[in-house]
Amino acid sequence: MVSKKGERKAAVEGTKERGEMLEEFKGYLERAKKGDKEMLPALRETLDQMPQLARKLVDPAKQAEYSMIKNYAGDDLLVTETMPRTLNLMREELAGPNPSPLEELLVERVVATWFQVQYFESLYAQNIRNLTIPQSEYHQKRLDRAHKRHLSAVRTLAQVRKLLKPALAQINIADKQINTTG
Amino acid sequence: MAWERRERGGLYYTRSRKLDGRVVREYVGSGSVGELAAQTDALERLQCEEEAKAWKEERERMEALEAPIEELCEASEVFAQAALYAAGYHRHNRGEWRKRRGK
Repeated sequence: MVSKKGERKAAVEGTKERGEMLEEFKGYLERAKKGDKEMLPALRETLDQMPQLARKLVDPAKQAEYSMIKNYAGDDLLVTETMPRTLNLMREELAGPNPSPLEELLVERVVATWFQVQYFESLYAQNIRNLTIPQSEYHQKRLDRAHKRHLSAVRTLAQVRKLLKPALAQINIADKQINTTG
Repeated sequence: MAWERRERGGLYYTRSRKLDGRVVREYVGSGSVGELAAQTDALERLQCEEEAKAWKEERERMEALEAPIEELCEASEVFAQAALYAAGYHRHNRGEWRKRRGK
């Protein structure tokens, strides 16, 4: 059995590893932004590893989501049971058929930020009568940040879909719908 | 909040508070009145400390829940930008994404 201390140590190391990975990748990106074409192969290579990298990022976010569901639901078993299903349904609907690894990651982000907004709103609503003015301001700021994160997540997903996915054209032949790239 | 020894030897309970930016000492009383005020203040202080501790823990808990999602947001934004650059797009004046000419 892993001790709490061991868990914390692993979490810290995981964060460090992800942080280093992200910093390295940001370095490639900055050079690519400045027109350094030599960085493109490294950038593409890292993008090819997207599924593994995405898992490293999504797992901690899912853990946070699980904790939020527990807090959000409290003793309500119905919410405890239905909320993960609602979130999974959202994931499926947003991802659509055959999502790319990048889309999957962006969908995960949209769902996580959406639920975070719900969670912070409910937390604020539950405690609003007991909060001091500074505490209330703190909650408001947190909520504003969560809203911004969610809007940004939606915008990026839409942008990536629009620019990186070939447009689908719908053709109906003999009452059968055929989707083709155009 | 403190007990102050008077010139005649008795103890007097006092409270210090800020009034218009100046520290003002309020003389509450001696004997049982002072004792009662001291106990009330000590209880209030304890309550304040407990509330501050609870609020600090609540903030830490929320920050711990926020951090992995912030990390996910930051990383996925970087990946999305990288994918767009790799596909030949660039950001025009930090705004819309445009395809580079001749690609």
